[in-house]
Amino acid sequence: MKLELGNIFIHDIQFDRLSRVEKGIIYINEEELKAHLLEDENIRSVSCDIAKPGESVRIMPVKDVIEPRVKVEGEGGVFPGILSKVDTVGSGRTNVLKGAAVVTTGKIVGFQEGIVDMSGPGADYTPFSKLNNLVVICEPIEGLKQHAHEKALRFAGLKAATYLGQLAKDLEADEVESFETLSLIEGIRQYPDLPRVAYVQMLQTQGLLHDTYVYGVDMKQSLTTMLYPTELMDGAIISGNCVSACDKNTTYHHLNNPVVRDLYAKHGKELNFVGMIITNENVYLADKERSSDWSAKLAEFLGVDGVIISQEGFGNPDTDLIMNCKKIEAKGIKTVIITDEYAGRDGASQSLADADASADAVVTGGNANMVVNLPPMEKVIGHVKVADTIAGGFDGSLRPDGSIVVELQAITGATNELGFNRLSAR
Amino acid sequence: MILITNNPKFQKDPDPRCDTEYMAGSYRDVLIVVRDMIHQGHKLLSHPLSGSVKPNETPYKSILISKSTGSLDVDSLQIIEDSISTCDKFMKNPVKYGYNNQDALLADFSEIDHGLIEVAIASASSR
Repeated sequence: MKLELGNIFIHDIQFDRLSRVEKGIIYINEEELKAHLLEDENIRSVSCDIAKPGESVRIMPVKDVIEPRVKVEGEGGVFPGILSKVDTVGSGRTNVLKGAAVVTTGKIVGFQEGIVDMSGPGADYTPFSKLNNLVVICEPIEGLKQHAHEKALRFAGLKAATYLGQLAKDLEADEVESFETLSLIEGIRQYPDLPRVAYVQMLQTQGLLHDTYVYGVDMKQSLTTMLYPTELMDGAIISGNCVSACDKNTTYHHLNNPVVRDLYAKHGKELNFVGMIITNENVYLADKERSSDWSAKLAEFLGVDGVIISQEGFGNPDTDLIMNCKKIEAKGIKTVIITDEYAGRDGASQSLADADASADAVVTGGNANMVVNLPPMEKVIGHVKVADTIAGGFDGSLRPDGSIVVELQAITGATNELGFNRLSAR
Repeated sequence: MILITNNPKFQKDPDPRCDTEYMAGSYRDVLIVVRDMIHQGHKLLSHPLSGSVKPNETPYKSILISKSTGSLDVDSLQIIEDSISTCDKFMKNPVKYGYNNQDALLADFSEIDHGLIEVAIASASSR
């Protein structure tokens, strides 16, 4: 399966009378977009705003971030099984508005989630400070339950991103990237002497506000399965995960999964990237046993020498991570795990809630308990009052001058467990 | 199976698919009761650290264990002990739910804990 990504570089985003993309600028007819999103009867009101890199702007609470894409050649459409039919995606060509994103914000529960600062020290911790963001602020109808509210916001974000993506349908790309995964037998023949490596991606699937969807299927209901990595780039996996801003994978992360990108970059040079296995992180322990058994079984079936395993979330998923690692290692396959840490504010405590001697190659996204001081911003988009009740915040987090003292876990994408971070210890 | 919980939503409306043992007490108290029952031979059925809401944020915890007892299940014991250590680690930081002791927030924490464990109860019931 082969996919080309046609990147159209975006350096600005503005409201205008006619929605279009011209010379790297996205123009949006706000009223047209709002009318489109208000078709959802669970949404009472929609407002839009724009946040650009370097501005004195804070967005909070952030629910999801989505990159606008559109299918221009090949089967299916972006976000299959959700906004497009369930046709298999991942081949042909997809145009990408690179450098832009839709950011959704909304207060689903009292203690929510997620800060993106567009400048200042907080901006270094989130990759989304470097994007031209269309922020969509949705208010639900009175009395809407949390799960329905989350769904309404999830769809509003995907619809807004698709609306922008459509503007790129007939544009010529500034850059074309190509990604290909062959069938198992062709792949073995292509690079017989390189080590065979697969990627095991763990998806957050614990339940209410902690869900991930694959081709529209609630992943906690699925057995561990396989995807062509290019399917991700067309939106096969989308986020319905609202809790733990620092280490949740937004839809943007799934579309731009850095493990997939780096494995493709090394494919044919250092290693033979065979494909990917996706698995879940359920609460019921027997589900964990079954899913990790299947991860190990599929890794063995693929005949790989090594796998990279990435995690999503904290606590409960630590156990899935270790089960996957232990069982895959027991098949004689080397593993590297990617996680993040809750090691206490001084960094001295044990990082994970589970451990095993076979987990001896670990990449960390950082310590989510680290305290950061975010200076006041001139403008706040969303709900500033949630600062005290945001994950990683505490009584007094929001200072009278508008600055916020919080743990890193409050910042969207700060300790991402795919390694999609801007800072490193190197 | 038995549900050990301090979530008032289960006190008011117990799930008919399991025996609900409601207890007043903290998140940590629930972990300790479950640990003691594991020592008595019950098996852990759901992960004690369900949900990404941290132990110093939410006051509520619901955990499923087996009704039947056998010899000590070491895997269960390892998971509950690791969970207690993790809980204690978070408790060193400011405890948020004291501050968050507002009805709307408590209702949200209760709803999430309830939503997550309901999925585990459904999985367990389908076996």
